[in-house]
Parts: sequence; C-alpha cells; structure tokens
Amino acid sequence: MSDRTVVVAGLEQCFRARGGEVHALGPIDLTIEPGELVTLAGPSGCGKTTLLRLLAGFGLPSGGSITVGGEPVRAPGVERGVVFQQPTLYPWLDVRGNVELGPRLRGSAKVERRRTAERFLELVGLQDVAGLRPYELSGGMQQRAQIARVLANDPDIVLMDEPFGALDALTRERLQNELLTIWRETGKTILFITHSVDEAVFLGSRVLVMSPRPGRIVLDEPARFSTASHEVPPEELRALPEFTELAARVRSAIQHVEPVVAG
Amino acid sequence: MTPVLPSVRRALPHVVTLAVVLTAWSLVSASDVVKPAYLTPSPLEVWEAFVRANTYHPIGGGVDRVVRGEENYFLWEHLVVSLRRIGLGLAIALVVAVPLGLTMGLFRGFGRVVGPYVDFLRSIPPLAYIGFLIAWFGFYDTSKVWLLVLAAFPPITLATLNGVRGVKEDHLNAALSLGATKRQTLTHVLAPATVPDILSGLRVAVGFAWTTVVAAELANGLPGIGGLAYLSGTQNKIALSVACILVIGLTAIALDTVLRILEKQLAPWRGKA
Repeated sequence: MSDRTVVVAGLEQCFRARGGEVHALGPIDLTIEPGELVTLAGPSGCGKTTLLRLLAGFGLPSGGSITVGGEPVRAPGVERGVVFQQPTLYPWLDVRGNVELGPRLRGSAKVERRRTAERFLELVGLQDVAGLRPYELSGGMQQRAQIARVLANDPDIVLMDEPFGALDALTRERLQNELLTIWRETGKTILFITHSVDEAVFLGSRVLVMSPRPGRIVLDEPARFSTASHEVPPEELRALPEFTELAARVRSAIQHVEPVVAG
Repeated sequence: MTPVLPSVRRALPHVVTLAVVLTAWSLVSASDVVKPAYLTPSPLEVWEAFVRANTYHPIGGGVDRVVRGEENYFLWEHLVVSLRRIGLGLAIALVVAVPLGLTMGLFRGFGRVVGPYVDFLRSIPPLAYIGFLIAWFGFYDTSKVWLLVLAAFPPITLATLNGVRGVKEDHLNAALSLGATKRQTLTHVLAPATVPDILSGLRVAVGFAWTTVVAAELANGLPGIGGLAYLSGTQNKIALSVACILVIGLTAIALDTVLRILEKQLAPWRGKA
C-alpha cells in the first residue's frame, strides 16, 4: 500500500444561497495518517458532511487543497470509499450484487469477485441474506451491506458519514464493535462523522470537533479506547474516568462554540 | 357444516355483483322501457353475436350461404389486427422516446430546448392528426400506426425524462466512488434506475394508444375491433356492437394487467426503495 496520507490545507467552502454567499467551511488544516480512525463530531449544520464530500471528491472546494498521497483530489476515486448516511444500495441488485459491484465495475473475474463478496458478507454477518434485495433488509443490515460493499472494493481510506445515526441503540452498539474489529483487522484509514459524543470518543483513535458554520477544527485529541484490548467490554471502557473526561471535553468543545443566537 | 374454501369466499362478492348486473341487464332488455326492442339485446343475444362473429355461420334470411365471422374476419382476428397496430406503434414510440428522454435528462440544455415541443405534442389529442396523416401516408394501416406513434411517444418520453431527473445523486456518487467510469454510471445506475418510470410511461401510453386506435378505426378500420364496433352499430347489429365494446374493455384491462405483471418482474423494487 502506498503512503495514503490525507492532507487538507487551507480548505474553504462557500456556496450561494438566498441572501448572498454562505461561508460553510474553513479554513481547515488537517493531516490524517494512514491507519488512523479519526472521528469528527460537531453541531448539526456545521459542515461535517461538506468536508467529507469534498474529501470524497463529490465537489470542488472554493479555496485550499486536498491531497491524498500527494495527489490532489478532484473527483471520486477507488482509493477513497464512501459510506453514506443513507445506505444508497441499488435496489435492482441483490445484496451480493451490491457488494461485488466495485470489483465488477473494474472487470474482475466472476469467480474472483464472488469470492470477495462472500468474504465481506461473512465479515459483516450477512452471508445468509446475500440473495435478498436491499429493501428486504432492516436498516442496520442495509448499513452493514453498504460497509461490505465499500470494503470489498478495498479502498485505503473509508469516509463514513454518520452511518449509524439512524439506527436503534442496540444495533448501533453492535455495529460500532464490528467496525472496530474490521478496522483492527484491515488497518484502513477511516474518517467517521458522528453527532454523538459517546460514539466519537468510543470509536476514534483521534477525535476532532468542528465549530458551527463556518466549520473549523476546534478540538483535536488522541483517544485510546478503540485500540484497547479486545477483552475489555465496551461498558467498562465507557465507565473509565479517562473516557468520561474526554467525553466532557468534547461535549464542551461542541457547546462552547455554539452561537448565542441560533441562525 | 363443511368449511367454505377461502378462495370461494373471496370470489363470492364478485360473483354476486356480476349476477346482479346481468340480471338487471336482462330485465331491461326484456321490458319495454327502450323501444324498439332490438336496441336492448339481452346478455344471451350478445353472447350469441359474439359466438357467431367467431365462427363460420349461415348468412340467414333464407339465403343458403355460409360466411366467415363478420366482414370476412373472425372477431378475434379483428382484435388481433388492432393489437398489432398498437404493438407496432408502441415499439416505434419506445425506440424514439426512451433515447430522447434519456438525452433530455442527461443534457439539461437540450432538455430545456426540446421539452416545450414534447409538451406541445402531448397536449394535442391524437385524433387531430388523422386527416393530416391520411394525406401523408394514405388510407391504410401506415397512417394508423403513425397515429399511435404520435399518441404514445410523448408520455414515454416525459416518463423517461422524469426517471432520469429522479435518479438519486448519491446513487451516482456511490458508483463513482466504487470506480465506475462515466459510461458505467449510465449502464449500471442510470439505466436500471429509470426502468420503473419507463414502464409507467409505457402503461400510460398503452391506455392512450388503445383509446386512440379504436377511435381511429372509425375511418376505414376493417379489419379492426374499433372498426367492427362502429360498423355493426351503424348497421343496427346492436348485439354485435355491444360484444365488441365488451371485448375492447376487457382487452384494455388485460393489457394493463400484463404491463403490471411486467412491472413487477422488471422493477420489483418500485415503491419500496
């Protein structure tokens, strides 16, 4: 794997809206090293998703630059997988067809891509529903299928936009643990957006907090709960004083910069 | 008591309703409410006319000659001719309308320029073309098929366009992130995503074309089920005319059912995702 360091420099995004130009984002300077699991929290509307979409290459920034492994980001690319907030699975394909889509688009042989799909379906525990259509699955299963689809494409960097936001608490916790297992096993670089303080602290090897619009990074701290030994149950991790202290700092960082007058 | 089969219980209200309708019809035709009496054929007379129209039968009136169906064609042959016109017209309309709709959706400038013309064509009642088309293509089948093309192509174009516009942006983004080329996003995302809309457009077009073909057959429409329905009425063969009307209605329902099944086969996700 080549050095896929993500470097964001002086990034800004503005867009036109009624009543003039809106300064949505930045300036943001950020370097993400390969293998990091960076969680990004912030109030809603602060530009988290805007940042992720710029990293994904779905749009171009108004100013500044993004490079991945030294190459400027101008368009979507296979080295940057995207897990959307909504599952965005294709209803005309069954679950297996969705998962093997990436390899198929790149012309991988049928046997080979089938094997890849089986492997990742098993990883996310969906091997038994591989023949179903996405709309026949629960929300949690759909998100798992989407994650499998992204992983089967073997990106170096996985960009995740509040993927567990719409799920119930139990499913969410199970998927969080699965994500950590996958991260430890694959060593992918992950940027994970969330509006949950607990999720940010629990998952991140590094936790970022963004200010309200225009979004800037106002907190950047390492965290070690995601790298803790597998044997420690999540409830115990969450009960650690370190955990609650970091969670408190993250929470106050989010609230501290909240504007007095809601816009 | 023996238990009633669920399927029988479900069918019962329909059987009763049909029986009531047929009884009311029979009573009206047996009574003197409408005069002269031949204007109100009974269900049985309509059935007999239907059977006669599908068989070789004596011409009657003391003449010892046997004729084939009505106007030398069996009734089902009249129906098949009308269906063939529709099939041909729709096939041509599909070949023109789907690429046009896709292009209009993909190239917004083109869509903006061409859109008003498609809207304009859609707003014209197809029968308004008939004189013009007869002048261009003659009195026979060609003009009728063209009429159906003109009737069917605006709804299919607009439905296709609507389908392209409704494709979720993140469905395209997801494919690009998975490594799809621009062309692959067309074949792997845009085309399948548009299928349900094309099928609904086709359903609208079929309904529209069926109405149109029956009406178009008023002029030189034999063989043709619409032509037969019209001619038999003008010849005071009311039972036959009613039989044609029933066949036309049931055919419309059958066509729609076939398309609905096709929709379920080709786009089972419709309304679910």
